[in-house]
Amino acid sequence: MANKGSKPKPFEGLRVTDLSWVGVGPTVAKYLADHGAEVIRVESATRMETLRGAGPFTNNEPHYDNSGYFANFNSSKLGVTINLKTGKGKELLKRLVAVSDVVTESFTPGSLKKLGLDYEELRKVRPDLVMISMPLFGQTGPWAHYMGYGHVLQAASGFNHLTGWPDGEPIGTGVAYTDFLVPHVGALALVAALDYRRRTGKGQYIDFSQFEGAVHALGTSILEWTANGREAERLGNRDPEAAPHGAYRCKDGRYVVIACFTEQEWEGFRAAIGRPDWTDLERMRRRWSRLNEQKEIDRHIDFWCRERTAAQAYRAMRDNGVPSGIVKSPEEMHRDPQLKHRGHYALLEHPTMGLRTYDSPAFRLSKTPGGPTKAAPLLGEDTERVLKSTLGLSDEEFTELLVEGALE
Amino acid sequence: MTDRPDGVPLPHADGPLAGYRVIDLADEKGQLCARLLAELGADVIKVEPRAGDRTRANGPFFRDEVGRESSLYWWAMNAGKRSVTCEMRLEAGRDLFHRLVAGADAVIETSAPGAAKDVCADARTLAKVNPGAVVVSITNFGQTGPARNLPATDIVGSAMGGHMYLNGSDERGPVRTTAPQAYAQVNLQAAVGAVIALYARGMNGGLGQHVDVSMQESMANAMDNAQQTWDILQINNRGPGSGRMVSGREGPRYIYETVDGWVAALGLGGLIGPNSAVMIDWLDQTGEAGPLTSPHWRERLSVVQPLEEGEQKQVVGVLQQFCRTRRKDDLVREAQARGAGWAPVYSPREIVESDQLAARDYWVQVRHEDIGETFVYPGAPWRLSGTPWKQRGRAPHVGEHNAEVYGDVLGLDADEVAKLRRSMVI
Repeated sequence: MANKGSKPKPFEGLRVTDLSWVGVGPTVAKYLADHGAEVIRVESATRMETLRGAGPFTNNEPHYDNSGYFANFNSSKLGVTINLKTGKGKELLKRLVAVSDVVTESFTPGSLKKLGLDYEELRKVRPDLVMISMPLFGQTGPWAHYMGYGHVLQAASGFNHLTGWPDGEPIGTGVAYTDFLVPHVGALALVAALDYRRRTGKGQYIDFSQFEGAVHALGTSILEWTANGREAERLGNRDPEAAPHGAYRCKDGRYVVIACFTEQEWEGFRAAIGRPDWTDLERMRRRWSRLNEQKEIDRHIDFWCRERTAAQAYRAMRDNGVPSGIVKSPEEMHRDPQLKHRGHYALLEHPTMGLRTYDSPAFRLSKTPGGPTKAAPLLGEDTERVLKSTLGLSDEEFTELLVEGALE
Repeated sequence: MTDRPDGVPLPHADGPLAGYRVIDLADEKGQLCARLLAELGADVIKVEPRAGDRTRANGPFFRDEVGRESSLYWWAMNAGKRSVTCEMRLEAGRDLFHRLVAGADAVIETSAPGAAKDVCADARTLAKVNPGAVVVSITNFGQTGPARNLPATDIVGSAMGGHMYLNGSDERGPVRTTAPQAYAQVNLQAAVGAVIALYARGMNGGLGQHVDVSMQESMANAMDNAQQTWDILQINNRGPGSGRMVSGREGPRYIYETVDGWVAALGLGGLIGPNSAVMIDWLDQTGEAGPLTSPHWRERLSVVQPLEEGEQKQVVGVLQQFCRTRRKDDLVREAQARGAGWAPVYSPREIVESDQLAARDYWVQVRHEDIGETFVYPGAPWRLSGTPWKQRGRAPHVGEHNAEVYGDVLGLDADEVAKLRRSMVI
């Protein structure tokens, strides 16, 4: 915060009760927290947040305050524990919502209703509340109660079908992909609703289905089926529109990617590899005919790359204006000069984890900049402070709740 | 308002962004961003050169007929926008563009850093034209830094953004998703930046600002926990093939072949952990649980304790056998009933035919009155109770809305518009 000077933050003065958990919901609330909202992450030790139990853990010591997985999604937030299964806990949550502008949640549909804490109830204590629910499949329909994580949602939403080699299994991306895709979709609606509220004073409820959001990231695949009756297929690293287009293994075992969509890029590519004869063949001269020669082109490039390190191959391409890059490992990402320059990985001191890196938003706002300002909270780190200063609980009231187990 | 021919996008007065106008100069890195803003209620005006936007040449094409009005890419990314033509290389074109910007709330542009200055569409110039406008600049690596001017496409964004390293396998190397994800990611993250900047006008004296978006960083944000795994354990997660990587260790496969395709069943499909007994019972009902019914295995699987490689192989083998003779939707229904988070591997066709999406009335019919057809498009990504999402109609033809935008929005009379046409500005 200090290095950002006195520039205002977009969401200053906004309070968020963040009931969400695991990947998607917390990432949506992280956008608000990283841009100045006071986000109060409500958890309970009686039903521990899944990611607090998932590594990587500092010092390889599994502990709920040591998880890097949890930490990254919860930067700039406060941590409060309330047991919503207790009557006092429910009452306390309502008091918190009454002074909040936003509620975020990602429980199985119906869970909050069972607790008497669904939107219909919460709007009674906060009429202009903006609330977003974001389970995998939405609030209704035969799959509404289905459980799962981003690893399997990527399967349902087409990413497995479209990732892998044509002669191989639908392996999908190697990550819980939709967990890193749909938070942006959810945040877009939430902030748009907040802007509407800013202008009109009206709150509302958002039923967000992760599945339905993910479908919008499938490019032309849906229309290819509905308009052309053709199924898009996984093509390895090929592209239906570019040749060459691929990832190629170099002498040092690393990979470079090369993509030539235009004739200019192809000319740059030819220059980069010294204009060998095969590149001058008639069938190599136009993109549309090159598309039929991808196999041969790839064979030539594989051979050329085998004699060079990835850095050498990349430099040759780059210096000739060819869209190209190195397939960067997590380690290389941390050392990447461009990301360093951009300050993408924010370094923040955490009470038990020490100085750790946190992801920043992919955008920089020139006048009201955001970015992570505080490491993730310990479990219940701010319970006492928030309940006393925000809700005005007396020492006696607080102790009573503590003893009764409402703050577990 | 001039009379609107059938099929032309209508204003969407009900969305949360209703009343805003957005000028869209974007290519693949920003068109989806602008489209989503349109579906949230903004009036999005796509500005194209007279020959049409470059991306109109992106395939695939409707019935494989190449043409500037038949690109499915164009249809998908620009549905619901209005289109005007404007030659920004001409001074009169730049003036015209600035008049559009003067009445706009946001501009979405994707030119290389510095390049927009040539046509006076850079953030500084636009801030002078309209201090209230938010200028969203979406680039490969951001506006600053040593890589800012390097060329990139989707696969380069995936590679340099660290995401691609996590896909694929040791044997075959890294792989990208065929539907471009670096483009999808940067569009979506830019849209979040755009609405945050629009919101910030309320506490910033109505001033707009520059939103500098990097495709590389958008992909860096899709690395799951690999970033932290390196930071904390100094281990590189990598492409795990059909398995899953857990904190730097390769776990068992998570997709299983079925009679009609594949299912995704994470963590041995729930056969390990507190729920294992229920899952073993399921397999046992048809006598297909193999050795897993033994007291030893039941005990072993009831605790979450990583399996030895040999053990893992046995469990995976049982699961593979079981899935191979069954249909994916049946498997998923039963597994979910037993508390395991399975999902089917769906193709685009299967997504379109999904019961869940049908029950939610997800799909929208979009009329293409120009060719006498109606097509199914993806529907509401969110249900907003007060300000609904709305699909606004098909993508526009080149310059389809010149008369109404230059007439109704800028207030030019017919003679002035005719003059702009004659001088080849529009």
